Order: sequence, then C-alpha cells, then structure tokens
Amino acid sequence: MFDKYMVPTRGFQNVRENGDIVGFQMLLRITYYRGIHLSLIGSLDVTVDGEHFKPEQLRFSLGDRTYTMDELGKEENVHWPFGQPAKLIVLKPGGLQPGIHDVQVEQRIVPAYMPQGMGFPGNMRRKITLVA
Amino acid sequence: MKRGVTLYSYTGDFQMGTMNLEQCVADVADMEAEGIEILGETHVEGYPNPSEEWVGQWHGLMEKYHTKPSCLDSFVDSMLKKGSYLTVDESIAMLVRDMKLANRLGFKIMRPTFGKSPIPVPELIEKALPYAEQYDLKVAIEIHSPARIESDWMNSLLEVISRTNTKRFGFTLDMSIFSKRPPHYFEDRMLRRGAHENIVRFVGKAYEDHLGPEKTMAEVRKMGGNEADLSWASLAGVYHFSDNPPQDLLKIMPYIYHIHGKFWEMTDDLQEYSIPYETVIPVLVKGGCGAYFSSEYEGPRELFRASDQLRRHQAMLRILFGEAKETAVGRGTGD
Repeated sequence: MFDKYMVPTRGFQNVRENGDIVGFQMLLRITYYRGIHLSLIGSLDVTVDGEHFKPEQLRFSLGDRTYTMDELGKEENVHWPFGQPAKLIVLKPGGLQPGIHDVQVEQRIVPAYMPQGMGFPGNMRRKITLVA
Repeated sequence: MKRGVTLYSYTGDFQMGTMNLEQCVADVADMEAEGIEILGETHVEGYPNPSEEWVGQWHGLMEKYHTKPSCLDSFVDSMLKKGSYLTVDESIAMLVRDMKLANRLGFKIMRPTFGKSPIPVPELIEKALPYAEQYDLKVAIEIHSPARIESDWMNSLLEVISRTNTKRFGFTLDMSIFSKRPPHYFEDRMLRRGAHENIVRFVGKAYEDHLGPEKTMAEVRKMGGNEADLSWASLAGVYHFSDNPPQDLLKIMPYIYHIHGKFWEMTDDLQEYSIPYETVIPVLVKGGCGAYFSSEYEGPRELFRASDQLRRHQAMLRILFGEAKETAVGRGTGD
C-alpha cells in the first residue's frame, strides 16, 4: 500500500564475501497490509539502472535464513512479519558503484481472495544512494 | 450500536512507525470509541503465537484506555501451496489457529476471509461451528462489495444458519455495498494511470445509472477508451462497488454481528462522499442492530491522514446514532 516506501534508504549496500563484492542488497518492506507466509510472495522483480535481474540472481533473507526464489515459493511455514523489513540480495559480481542508482522493485503478493495470476502488486521506482 | 475503529485504518502510520499499537489504541480512545478491531497478521507481534508477555500487554492496553476487543480479522490463504488449493482440513486448521488467538486476546467475534477455492464457503463454515463453540466466538464473514444481499451467494449462507440454527455464524457488514458513486480516490488513481477525464466522468455516471459493466465497457470502447479507461469501466474497476437498497438489510439484520464502517473520503460537511450513511444507519438503528460499528478508513494512504478522517467519521456516527444532536458544520440529520 505504501509502495513508495518499499525500499528504505538505509540498508542499500554492496555485499562482500571473503573480501570480494559478490552483489548488492536492499531492505524490503511489505507493500501489502498484513504479514504473510513466504509462499504467498508470488514474485519479486528488480531492475537497477536499467539492468533487469533474473530470479536466479535474487536471494531473499529473513532472520537468519536466506532463500532462492524457488525455495521462497515453497516455504509455507515461515511468516514474514508485517513490521519487519526483509533483505533482498542481488548477485552481481563487482556490485554497484558508489553513487546514486535508479532502483525499481515490484513485489507481487498472492493473497487468498485475489483471482489467480493477478495478485496484489506493489511497485516502487526511486533513486537511492549507495555509499559502500 | 457501539462505536469502534479497525486499526487497519492506520496501516500506513503503523508500518512506517509514526504510530505504534498503543498510539493507535489511544487515538481511538480519544474519540470516545470503544471497540478495537485488529488484523492478526498486522498487529499481533509473534503472530500466530504471541508471547504471554505480549498478550498481557494487549489486555493491559484495553484496560488502560477503556477499550474492548471487537473483532479479529483472519485470512484463510487458500493459495498457500503452489499449485494446489488448501484442503478442507487444512483450511479449518488455519481458521482454528486464529480462533485460538482470538480467544487469547479476548475477542468474541472474528472475521475470516476465505480465498478462492473449490470448497464452498458454507461447507467450511459448517465444519468450523464446533470450534467456534469451543473458543466462544461468532464467525462473521464479510459482506463486501460487489456483493448483493439479494443473491444466491447470500442465500447459501443464510441456509446454513436456518438449517443448523446456529448462533455462532453471521456477517460482518461492510458499508462498501451501499456505494452510490465511485470514490474520488479511485478515480484519481485511474487518471494517474492514464485514463481520460471525460471517460472517467462517463463511467462514474454509468455506475450511478446502473448501466452495468458490459454496456459501460462497450460505450467506453466507442469513446476510444484506452486500457486504463476500460479497466475502470469493468467489474474489477468501478463495478467492484455495489449499491444495495438499505431496506434489504432487514433480511439479514439478526445475523449482523459486526460492521465495517468503510469510508474513503469524509467531506468538510461531514458526509462520506460515496456512501449515503444517512440512509443506511436509520435502517440498522430501527432494526435493533447492536453490533460494533467499526470505522474503516481506506482512502488515500498518506501518513497522519487516517487520524483526522477517522474523527470526522466518528463525529458523523455520533450524530446519526443520536448521541449528538447537532453538528458544527454542514447539514444536520433533519431532526
């Protein structure tokens, strides 16, 4: 519902593994009005500076667990609490350059009462500054 | 009827942290409203199994602000599993999970939303009745637009009540089913999506004249409507609202256990722009309805807006309930 606040400014940064930058990450708020079980996330779609990322390049992280998009679709028991931003990781060797980036995210929630295939989409596009 | 508020109204402020749970409850108490309605999955920390500490805090809030739990909103997510719908047993298990929660939090009424499923809702309701008894709850499913009171759907639910004679199943009446004209909020949204102003005006008039989606869409096509125009003219657009005659309420009056005072825009003369509250509430009052009237703001999602709009709505309710005889602005109720 508050699509424009889907990705907060804080938390947008490169991800390092053993000293190498393997991608970047951002925090993600639910754009629906309640928390949901993870399998109700129909899809996540990320485009940064015009580069669209495939589902295989995305990881969703909640608490101490990280999921591929396939795993996310099957996780029926874990609940994403309404007030808790999750972390969305995009695998991209080298990550992003420090500076201002054009970030577009769509999350599609598939609640019980919406016709199948339709879902409840949330869209955000805004410029976010990556420091490191 | 008793006045209340669903904290759904504050969803944006609650999510962004401009208001926490206590501030929402305090805001309702400040309007001298009593009933607090929440969504388990939005407002309950640790849903579906909050800690004893959290449950204690919840009851503490109700005591501190002299408010009462009115209704717990619950969702049976029938599409939880990819590729297959929930079975009857799985659906009931999901419902019972929230019944336990409702019982712990002191709710006497719950509103489940059942999803799209091959299992008919009356079947699920009937299977849920023993659990409603066990957890001392009334299950009140929502009559929400585009629903019609005079319909086969409604009759199939009333049949369960008459056949089982249950006192545990009834309805949450949503005021959206009395929409006389489309809300500005939705029209503005369609304009932003590229709909034409003249077509949006035409569609609004078509809705008011009960033209129906097929004819409206045909006309819009003739007018050269684009995708946004056609979407607004369809069943998923303006015809998602419905305009039931208030007198039809008499048919279901004894089974109305909760009311969603849905609203999008309280104008400066203390009226809802789309919903003629002044013609519906007298029918409920006369019918002896004793449910909580739970204000449900669903207008533009701007931070801090709900709180102001809710006060206008509650002021209108006080006048229409006869709690207050006069109004500072606009027209009175005619007495």
